[in-house]
Amino acid sequence: MKTLLKWFVPLMVLSLLLAACQPAATPTPEKVIETVTVEKEKEVVKTVEVEKPAERAVVRLSGWAASPEETALLQSILLDFTVENPDIVVKYEPITGDYWQQLKTSIASGVEPDVFYMDIFQFPAFVRDEVLLPIDDLMAKEGVKRDDFIPSLIDAFSEGGVTYGIPKDFNTLGLFYNKDLFAKAGIAEPTDDWTWDDLKAAAEALSDPANNIYGLGVPADPGRFPIFVFQNGGSIMTEDYSDTLLDSPAAVEAATFYTDFRKNQIGAIPADVGEGWQGTVFGKGQFAMVYEGGWLIPYLKQQFPNTNYGVVTPPAGPKGEGNLIFTVAYVISRNSKNPEAAMRVINYLTSEKAQNKVLESGFALPTRLSLQNSEFLKTNPASSAIFRGALQGARPFVWGLVGSDVNEQMGKALERIYLENQAVDASLKQAAQVIRQKIAEVK
Amino acid sequence: MTQTVSNRPAGLFWRKDNPEKRKKRSEALTAYIFLLPYLFIFFTFTIFSIGYAFYLSFTRYNLLRPPEWWGLEGYRRVLCLEALMPRGEDAPPLACDDLFIKKALPNTVKYTLIVVPTQTVLSLILAFAMDQKLRFRRLFRTIYYLPSVTSSVVISLIFVWLFSPLGIVNQIFNLNINWLNDPRYAFYTIMILNVFTTSGTLMLIFLAGLQDIPTAIYEAASIDGANKFQTLRFITIPMLRPVVFFVVTVGLIGCFQVFDQIYVMTSGGPLDSTTTVAYLIYKWAFRDTTVKMGQAAALSFILALIILVFTLIQRRIIEGSGSVGSA
Repeated sequence: MKTLLKWFVPLMVLSLLLAACQPAATPTPEKVIETVTVEKEKEVVKTVEVEKPAERAVVRLSGWAASPEETALLQSILLDFTVENPDIVVKYEPITGDYWQQLKTSIASGVEPDVFYMDIFQFPAFVRDEVLLPIDDLMAKEGVKRDDFIPSLIDAFSEGGVTYGIPKDFNTLGLFYNKDLFAKAGIAEPTDDWTWDDLKAAAEALSDPANNIYGLGVPADPGRFPIFVFQNGGSIMTEDYSDTLLDSPAAVEAATFYTDFRKNQIGAIPADVGEGWQGTVFGKGQFAMVYEGGWLIPYLKQQFPNTNYGVVTPPAGPKGEGNLIFTVAYVISRNSKNPEAAMRVINYLTSEKAQNKVLESGFALPTRLSLQNSEFLKTNPASSAIFRGALQGARPFVWGLVGSDVNEQMGKALERIYLENQAVDASLKQAAQVIRQKIAEVK
Repeated sequence: MTQTVSNRPAGLFWRKDNPEKRKKRSEALTAYIFLLPYLFIFFTFTIFSIGYAFYLSFTRYNLLRPPEWWGLEGYRRVLCLEALMPRGEDAPPLACDDLFIKKALPNTVKYTLIVVPTQTVLSLILAFAMDQKLRFRRLFRTIYYLPSVTSSVVISLIFVWLFSPLGIVNQIFNLNINWLNDPRYAFYTIMILNVFTTSGTLMLIFLAGLQDIPTAIYEAASIDGANKFQTLRFITIPMLRPVVFFVVTVGLIGCFQVFDQIYVMTSGGPLDSTTTVAYLIYKWAFRDTTVKMGQAAALSFILALIILVFTLIQRRIIEGSGSVGSA
C-alpha cells in the first residue's frame, strides 16, 4: 500500500500539472506557439545541413496573417531569400488575432521580433517611445535609396529627417461605381475629372430609396470622410498634431456636404440596409457608388463575381484633389541583435522582384516608383486607379499619438448627425473638444 | 481533511519521534504536494497578477515605455469628478477621461438593475414550470439549457443576424427598428441576449433548490390548510432564499463584468450607448493608440470595489428578514 502511494503521489501531481496547464492557454496564443516550434524544428534541420550554426544571424520577422494565400506568398519569397543568403536565418512568426495587443505586450516584455509590420496609424507612438531603430545608416550600407519609393509613403515613415521604416505596400481610396446601375439610370460613367457637383448629380439620378438603392455610400467611417475635408482645403489635425481642425469651417462644410447625401436620401450608411460594411452593399448592387480601397477588388471577385464595376480616383472638391493613404512598413526594433541582417531581409522583401510577385498576386500595391509602369497596372485599370491615388494630393491616414481617439470622435460626430439629428457644426465642435481633452491627457 | 485519526489526546511534550505527530505531518505534507500544482498556478496567475495590476494602477504605462510612478493620478483621471461640475463653453480641456463616470458606470448599473431581476424571476418561473409533471419536461429542460452551453460569441453572432434591420425579429413583429445601430435600442438588445443565455443555467440551479425542499414541510402546510399560493409565498420562496442569494450574486458579478457580447456585437457603440465598465477597461488597455494600462488597472480595482459593495448590499437585503444558512 505504502509503496503504491509513493508512486501514486508524484504521478498524480504530474497528471494534475498537465491537466491544469490546458485551460490556462487561450486558443490564439496557442496557435502562435505552435508556429514558433515548427519554425524551430525547421531551423534545427537546416543547421544540421550547413554545419555552421554559430555564424548564422537570426532575424525574427512578424506581421499579421491577413490570409493563408498571402502568408504562403511571403513564405515563398523568404525561401528565395534564404537560398540567396545562406548566412541569415529568417524566422517568420505571423501573429493571428489582435496584432497590436500582442506586439505591444511582446515589446513590454522585451521579446519583440527584429522586423515587424508597422501601420502608419500606430507609427507616431512607436517613434515617440523609441521602439524603432533609425535606419538611414543601414539603408546606405545596404544600398537602399529613399528616392526609389513613392515620396508620400517613405515620408510618412520618417520623422525629423530620420527614416524609420521601408513602406511595404499601400492603399488609397477610389470611387467604385456600378456600371449596370449607371446604364439603368442612363447617365455617363464617372471619370478621373469628376467634381463634387458631378458626384451629387449622379447620386440623385441613381437613387431609388423605395427599392433600397442609394447613389453613394456615406458611412460614419473615419477612414472615408477625411478625404472630403482635404478636398475642401481643410485638414483633420494641424501639421504637428498638437491640435485638431475638425471644427474649422472647411471641415464643417465638408461634413455638411457628406451628411447631406443621407439627409436627402441620395446616400445611405450600410446599417440602413442591414449591413456592416459598404463593400457588401456595393456587391449587392444597393449602393451605386462607394469610396473604398484596393481591398474591395479581391473581395468582389470572390463574393460578387458578377458585379460589373469600374474605379476612378475620388472626384475633386472645391479646393482640388484629396485622398487618404493607408500604408504599412517594415521596421526594425531597437533591441535587434542583428540589425544589418534585418535590413537585408527588408531590402529583399521590398525589392522590385518581390514586390512584382506581390503585385501580380493582387494582394497589395507596390511602393517602388519604378513599378508604376508595370504590365500588371496597365492591364488592371481598377488597381491602377488606386495606385494613381497616391500621387494626387493624398495624405497618410495618421492623426498623431491620439489617433484612435480622433478616429473614434470623428465616427461619433457623424453618428450623432445621422442618428440623433445633431447640427453638423455642434457635433464637430463637440468631437474637437473631446480630442483636445485627449491631447491634454497625453501631455 | 487529512486528519482522520487524531481524536486521542496528544502527549504533553512534543517529541521528534512521536509517531502520532509524524503521521500528521506526513499527511499534511502529502496534502501540500497535492495542492502544489494548483497553488503554483494560483500564485503566478492570480495573486501575482492582481498584485502587479495593483502596482500598475499607480503608474503611467503604455507598454512601450517602462511604467512610471504616478500616484493616484490614474484614479483621479478615471473618476474625473471635474466633469460633473458646471463648466463654461470655452473652459480649457480636462486632462481626464469622463467616459467612465458619464457613460460606462451609468450603463453598467442600468444593465445590472434590469438584467438581474429579469433573469432571476424568469428562471424562477421556468424552474417552477419544469418542476411540474409536464410531458416532455426533460426535453424542455435541455432546450432551455442549450443557450448556456453554447459559446457566447456564437450566440452573439446569431443575435446580430436575428436583430438586423431585415432580420427575423423585425419580420415577425412587423417592426422597422435598427436594433444594434440605434443608440436607443442597442443596449436593450444585448440585455435580451444576456437574459436568454443565462436563464437556462439559473433555472437549473433553482430547480435543484426546489427539489431540495423536504416534502414533509409541504405536507405539514397542506394539513394546516394552506392553499397553493400560500405554500408558494410562505414555504417555497423562503426556503429558496439561499439559492436566490447565490443566483443574484452570480448574476450581479456577471452583469458588472459583461464584455464578450459587447465586444462581438457593438464594440461599445453606437455613441457609447453600450460601453460598459469591463469593455472600457479593455478599450483603454488595448484598443487606444495611447495605451492607458495604468488607468485601465485603476478602473479594474474600482470595478472590483463596486462589485463588493453591491454584493454586500444585496446580502443585507436578502438576509434582511429571517436567517439564512451559508449560501
